Amino acid sequence: MHRMYSKKVYILIFLLPALILFCGVLIAPIGASAYYSLFNWNGLGAKVFIGFKNYKELFTSNAIGFMKALRNSLLLAALSVFLQLPLALGLALTLGKRVKGERIFLSVYFMPVLISTVVIGQLWLKIYNPDYGILNVFLRSVGLEKWTRIWLGTKKTALGAVFVPTLWQYVGYHMLLLYAGVKSVPPELREAAMLDGATDGQVNRYIVLPYIKPIIRISVIFAVTGSLKSFDLIYVLTNGGPLHSTEVPSTLMINMLFLRNRYGMGSAIAVLLIVLCFGFALLISAIFREEK
Amino acid sequence: MMRNNSKAARVAIYIGLVLWMLVNLFPVYWMFTFSLKSNPEIFGENVIGLPKEWLWSNYTSALKTGNMARYFLNSAIVAVATILITLGVALMATFALTRLIWKRRKTLNKFFMLGLTIPIHASIVPVYVTLSRLHMLNTYWALIIPYSAFSLSMAILVCTGFMNEIPRDLDESACIDGCSVWGVFFRIICPMMKPAVATVGIYTFLQCWNELMFANIFISKSALRTLPVGVQALSGQYTTEWGPIGAALVLATFPTLFIYIFLSKKIQESFIAGAIKG
Amino acid sequence: MKKIVSLALALCMVFALFTFANKPAAAAEETVLKLWCIATESDANRPAYLQAIADYEAAHPGVKIEMEAFENESYKTKIKAAMMGGDTEDLPDIFFSWSGGFLGEFVNAGRVVCLDEYFKAYADKLPESMLSTTTYEGKHYGVPTTFNIVAMYANMDLLAEVGYDHVPQTYEDLTACCDALLAKGIIPFGCAGKETWCVTEYLEPIIIKTIGYEALDKIFAGEATWNDPDIATAVTTFQEMINKGYFDPAGAALGNDETKANFLAGKTAFYQNGSWNTGEVAKADFKSAVGLFPVMNAERSTYYQTIGGPSDVLAACSASKNADLAAQVAVELGKEICHYNFLNAVGCPAWAVDYDTSSLTPLMVEIGQVVNSCEGLVLFGDTAMAADPAQTYLSYVALVYGCEIDGDGFVAGLTNDLG
Repeated sequence: MHRMYSKKVYILIFLLPALILFCGVLIAPIGASAYYSLFNWNGLGAKVFIGFKNYKELFTSNAIGFMKALRNSLLLAALSVFLQLPLALGLALTLGKRVKGERIFLSVYFMPVLISTVVIGQLWLKIYNPDYGILNVFLRSVGLEKWTRIWLGTKKTALGAVFVPTLWQYVGYHMLLLYAGVKSVPPELREAAMLDGATDGQVNRYIVLPYIKPIIRISVIFAVTGSLKSFDLIYVLTNGGPLHSTEVPSTLMINMLFLRNRYGMGSAIAVLLIVLCFGFALLISAIFREEK
Repeated sequence: MMRNNSKAARVAIYIGLVLWMLVNLFPVYWMFTFSLKSNPEIFGENVIGLPKEWLWSNYTSALKTGNMARYFLNSAIVAVATILITLGVALMATFALTRLIWKRRKTLNKFFMLGLTIPIHASIVPVYVTLSRLHMLNTYWALIIPYSAFSLSMAILVCTGFMNEIPRDLDESACIDGCSVWGVFFRIICPMMKPAVATVGIYTFLQCWNELMFANIFISKSALRTLPVGVQALSGQYTTEWGPIGAALVLATFPTLFIYIFLSKKIQESFIAGAIKG
Repeated sequence: MKKIVSLALALCMVFALFTFANKPAAAAEETVLKLWCIATESDANRPAYLQAIADYEAAHPGVKIEMEAFENESYKTKIKAAMMGGDTEDLPDIFFSWSGGFLGEFVNAGRVVCLDEYFKAYADKLPESMLSTTTYEGKHYGVPTTFNIVAMYANMDLLAEVGYDHVPQTYEDLTACCDALLAKGIIPFGCAGKETWCVTEYLEPIIIKTIGYEALDKIFAGEATWNDPDIATAVTTFQEMINKGYFDPAGAALGNDETKANFLAGKTAFYQNGSWNTGEVAKADFKSAVGLFPVMNAERSTYYQTIGGPSDVLAACSASKNADLAAQVAVELGKEICHYNFLNAVGCPAWAVDYDTSSLTPLMVEIGQVVNSCEGLVLFGDTAMAADPAQTYLSYVALVYGCEIDGDGFVAGLTNDLG
């Protein structure tokens, strides 16, 4: 069998479709973007080679605000890891202990993942509406009039207001991943610990969490890269406004590519985004390996 | 299992779980009532309540002028084809990456994982130009191919986990029985990968069902539009009647929700299987 | 069961893939022209497009026009990607565009048919002034489908509550009226901060009423500098109005649809926006009237100077296999769309009116009178400018509405960034 499995022809045939698809649609465009990012080009006319000037401008120009967009998305990533994941983990641990109605809870919690971002966005626009939005109406009705805000319209609150639904929508996704991990813990391990007199908290801490570490790692990677790439919901809710306070790299990129007609600059942002996502994925893997 | 918890703590946990459930059910309720309201009710008069007058006519106008049935079929075609292609390609690649013996397979596996980190929006124009040269724009393929490519990394990740679980003795004995590599792949490996199919299917479905950017740019014929683009095309530059848009949103979302509820047990099981092995 | 379902799905898919994917669009002798536009199902322009196409096809057997409508924002992305991709068969033959900078980028790249030849037959029906925003280096490239000005719609029922039976004509009158409205707890204006173009619908009229149309036109065209102290004065006026509470503070987070809905529901007394809203405003439950923003500096401007122009146009794609026919059709369609748009009260006529207009609503007639009295027009700033400067300009306008910068900051910033 060893000889048959080592034949180059087979290796090639089995890999070919994936390689063609992957390189053609994902890798080649990155190459193209990297190439275009070295030009001053509006996408239609003549290209002017300018070397790394686009990148330099991204990091130095305040007018473009790339650094701010980057900070925003890093903040979102941090919140995602330190708020969204713990919540998802808490739900997963609770439901993993055979709570009554486990299936119903599980199904409902996953629903927001299935609903399109356009719908979620419209819903939250209505929730945040300064006049009749549920949030302000609620605050007024409990006498907290002075807490009401124009949530998406003020620089101070807009970023937070955009992050809440972004984080909320995918709690269910991470929960299901982690729940799957919790369920895979062999019952014998759990029972043995219980017999030794461990509390629920101790079981979670010393048995379950170490066991599902690989899944937590995947969850963290998805949460961080997902945050860096986030686009849809922010596009619907504020499109980067007010006054660029909710700008993230992806909204900036679309803006450059299609509104400002700065194709070279847009490509530069795309390249940086990919480098960043991949860098973080490697970093997170490394951190988890070290802890082992 | 709960013997360490006092009754009060259990009740508190339940209340928390139920509250979180309401938070997650709210969008569904809101969308449904929204679809039956008139413009003034949607904009302020009655945002969260039940509609004063149940405007089922919103649905007729979404179906008739909005052509939602057609868009739904298109979305379904694209999703099913994407899932099939992703599965086929990923199974083959995973076979080469886990079973076949060669030097650089670990490196190549990492290379494929690169795809998990690439934002879909970064490649619009280059992919557009390529599809245009291949005369594939304005066909279902213009969406199926990019969607498959972007789902591939996740599919390989999941399949690798499952395939590593299949004992190698099976390959061995099949070989002794005179099976070729193809025989092993199709007769031994593929039938044992059934649980992976569901997991990959869901991940891929989530990836392509709600996608908007590609669907908008790569498809110009309205007969080939997918649901998100169709819903978006209901709103105009100068005027917008929101009731029918709500109806369209419901038509776009509820079938998925029903299928999900119907299959939720199966989906969760395969998700669990996928997570452990992935 | 499962197998049957999946088999059926697969069969259905294969069938669909082959039937719809590459089916020849029409019989051989028929010429098919693809038209891309933004007249989606709920767009007020749609009836005019459909009617104009039906008329054209009836009069010209052998020509078929396939219209595809896209949502406004995504259309911008789509048409640009198509023009960048550049393969002939994936481009439309005729396409909708905004005049000014948007079309200009395509013209510069040589993607648009010059229409000079085709306009000859229509010389008496299309005033040259309606072509100025689509003229590049002396040549014409766009067919206007409508013509719009920024108008100040007023809810006369609300104004009557504070003793007004007319739209205020002077700034003093306007502020008095707004103060009276505020005293009664009525918000005078709503302005959608989420869509910056809506803010320009307020700011630009104030600027034109302060510095006059000739000066503003030159600035938008890049022929004069932004460095004009009167622009700072205009910005100050706008911000004074904001600070006095004339604008609904909630507007900062709202889109245009919501702001308009507030006006139509009687929550705000005025709504200043494009005249394409006339049909909708006329249908509201209250008595409505229309006016213009009052003069701020009588030395430089007059009441009948305003922002507006033929912002929506059709153009023919030079890569089209039937470019000649596409250009002819674009001209004829543009004329007819304009005609039906006027009758549907979604725009003023850019072309000479040679048809019966007795069915027009009173509000539309009123708008028509305002348009006829116009003494100077400047195209909407973000349409007039090229894409990159337009975005810079819009971001400064957003800063003004958020009161992040004052008039001097606005002038200094734009002078610095755009000259």
